[in-house]
Amino acid sequence: MSVSLLSWAVLNGLVTGVIYALTGVGLSIILGLLNIPNFAHGALYALGAYFLYAAAQAALGFWGGLIAAALGVALLGMAIEYLGLRRLYGVHPDYALLLTFGLSLILTEATIFVWGPTGFTFQPPLMLAGGVNLGVMVYPKYRLMIMLATGLLVLGCWLFVERTKYGAIIRAGIEDRDMASALGINIRRVFTLGFAAGAALAGIGGALMLPVRGIAPTMGVEIMPVAFVVVVLGGLGSLPGAIVAGLLVGVFQSLMTALWAPGADASVFALMTLGILLRPQGLLGQR
Amino acid sequence: MADRGRALVRLVALVAAVAVLPLFVRPVVAAEIWIFAIAAMALNLIFGYTGMLSFGQATFFGIGAYAGALMMIHWQAPLLLALAGGAVLGALTAAVLGYLCIQRLGIYFIMLTFGFNQMFFFIAYKWTDLTGGEDGLPGVPRPPLALGPLHLPLNTATRYYLFVAVVFLLLFYAMKRIVDSPLGLICRSIRENPNRAAAIGYDVKLYKWIAFTIAGAFTGLAGVLYAMMYGIVPLEAISWITSGDIVFMVLIGGLGNLYGPLLGAAGLKWLSEAVSVVWQRWPLILGVALVLVVLYLRGGLVEALARLREALARRRLRPRVREESA
Amino acid sequence: MSGDGLLRTEGLTCDFGGLRAVDSMTLSVEPRTVHALIGPNAAGKTTLFNLISGEIPPTAGRVYFDGRDVTGLPSHRIPHVGIARCFQRNNLFPKLTVRENVWLAAFARSRPGALRFLRRVTEFPRLAAEADAIIAEVGLEAKRGDRAETLSHGQQRALEVAVALAGRPALLLLDEPTQGLAPEATRRMTELLQRLAGRYTILLIEHKMHVVMSISDRISVMHFGQLIAEGTPDEIRRSELVQKAYLGARR
Repeated sequence: MSVSLLSWAVLNGLVTGVIYALTGVGLSIILGLLNIPNFAHGALYALGAYFLYAAAQAALGFWGGLIAAALGVALLGMAIEYLGLRRLYGVHPDYALLLTFGLSLILTEATIFVWGPTGFTFQPPLMLAGGVNLGVMVYPKYRLMIMLATGLLVLGCWLFVERTKYGAIIRAGIEDRDMASALGINIRRVFTLGFAAGAALAGIGGALMLPVRGIAPTMGVEIMPVAFVVVVLGGLGSLPGAIVAGLLVGVFQSLMTALWAPGADASVFALMTLGILLRPQGLLGQR
Repeated sequence: MADRGRALVRLVALVAAVAVLPLFVRPVVAAEIWIFAIAAMALNLIFGYTGMLSFGQATFFGIGAYAGALMMIHWQAPLLLALAGGAVLGALTAAVLGYLCIQRLGIYFIMLTFGFNQMFFFIAYKWTDLTGGEDGLPGVPRPPLALGPLHLPLNTATRYYLFVAVVFLLLFYAMKRIVDSPLGLICRSIRENPNRAAAIGYDVKLYKWIAFTIAGAFTGLAGVLYAMMYGIVPLEAISWITSGDIVFMVLIGGLGNLYGPLLGAAGLKWLSEAVSVVWQRWPLILGVALVLVVLYLRGGLVEALARLREALARRRLRPRVREESA
Repeated sequence: MSGDGLLRTEGLTCDFGGLRAVDSMTLSVEPRTVHALIGPNAAGKTTLFNLISGEIPPTAGRVYFDGRDVTGLPSHRIPHVGIARCFQRNNLFPKLTVRENVWLAAFARSRPGALRFLRRVTEFPRLAAEADAIIAEVGLEAKRGDRAETLSHGQQRALEVAVALAGRPALLLLDEPTQGLAPEATRRMTELLQRLAGRYTILLIEHKMHVVMSISDRISVMHFGQLIAEGTPDEIRRSELVQKAYLGARR
């Protein structure tokens, strides 16, 4: 394989990988904090893209639209937690999962209802159009921006969770919900904000990918299993784990696509299987 | 003893329902209801009774369908052998996947079953030589039922329906025996309190694995029946959408109850038939139904019916109460 | 310290990260005796039970039962060795009936060939009789067909003991059987324990001193995970060390 093809694959892998990491971190926060595998995560990811699309159409521009998308999905996340999930906290966690599954259907169908079943393409903002000469090849500016921006965002999340007081509260809530509550932390508010944050991260991920892959109602369904693989590989409740796993999966998938395209999708799950067998608690998980 | 009487009544009602269903819906739809009822019963065993939520039952449904179909297409396998093949392959796959998935905590289990389902979906999607990929696997024959002196062609929709109905009833009886057996009670105890189940001497992982494998066998067999229905194995048979459908049926019908999955299968199939003609976005209704059931009616249709029966009974016994309190 | 007891622990230790919950516990329980384990809260008594019954693997030390090394056996194998456990907090199968709760424990210990799984649960007359006898022994006959979650707290404690008995054990690990019981129920539980005393070997965690004193043959006292005293009820009652531990903890 030529160097330029390899570098292309690796760079693409980092782009998708950093988005996977972002989505995985969001899922991991929700999983760790609320103990729920959020089956609506993919739909929220897709909605982020659709919100950006709609906002850009409404002349808010790319950056304004991005913020609108993030806020929109965050608000939706808050509503979901407050109106739905909150009622199920005393009940077996399976039911909360099923609620998110039902919501994913509603959201996806509603999306198709509003924007139609076919997909759209979207041009990146002018300042980020075109490519950058990296020596071996010319790589799209926009994708480099994703890597940078999302990388910073992910790093920011990690710093927030590991280094700030609020982050400590989140970590406490993840580790021992009852104890955190006993220590006077308003755990319910943490849950609402946590779910909203997780949802927002998914929405931002979807929005950022809009100029790269375009938009289609199925994009939510497509990212769901990958997000799960990332969280399983990274380790339950471990945000650094999700980051590492996201990058790993992204690069791996990209390389596989270059090497053996038909097996690329299935191989991601083979990676998951290998991960479970060799290291059941995940790369950086505790249990 | 009243229990036995009521159980018998329910069984008779079931057989009657099976017999008259084709009068209300097309035989093809009716057959599909019982086929999915089998798959739903299987999920009920591992979820309703044992507490394991599998979001990947389509894995076994699809693998069973492809296996049975390929056996009939390439080896001219007779009907019962193909059914057995689907069941065996469903069970084997479940045994392997079950071993991998059950080791982990509950949350992982769900995500792993979903993940593996996706893996097999992509394999089926890309391995077009074997499965036909997106276009599906066509040319699935419907061999006659040949058992000793009996030789019954199943070429009409009605005849096939009868065959499916009989297979369903047999499997229903088998499931009933499993549920009534010590295994059924052990599974329920695992759902209630896995820690105590272990403390009194049960290897919880082993029993979970056994239940999962049995469910795989049932589901694989259902897949073969599905393949023979339209003569084709569509890719959807192994997709997560089918997995989701099966979860719906169990939940909306009523978890942990033998008849729940049947109600759920009937309800879902009827809904999809009736509503999809009018509105293409009918899965939205499904999503809404699921949300409502999860929030307000966790016992599903079974609970709804029970509440209805109670309300009617109360009305009959005490018609004066309302006047007194007014 | 007498010779080989039915249950013997040697230097049993359990660390949770930085915390040493059980520190080098050495204990010996003579067959057919009631051996009580007392101590202030968080002394490590339940943790010791967890180490013996396989819920937690020990950091160090060994457990011997009937001469056999059972250290670190998984919890589902422990009943088959002859040890049955009841828990400090009611740990039953809430939606199953009293009968089903007890039957399950008995079935686990019967010799099931695979064929037994082909029968209906209602088709095991001997197990049903065994379960019924145990239910009667603990005084729950009236509640046989009721779901465990409908029982009062006292009845659930009795069911806890019944489930343990159904495992046909040689050794009973009873964790505060009178926990949360009013005086009348406590008296009945104490009588039950006295009836059981001759037939089983019992290792008993208890807080109610009058219960401990009235039925124990031997008492071990734990504090901060360590064994601080051991002897007959009289010796323990008179021990200054023990009194200090309790008084100190109570402050």
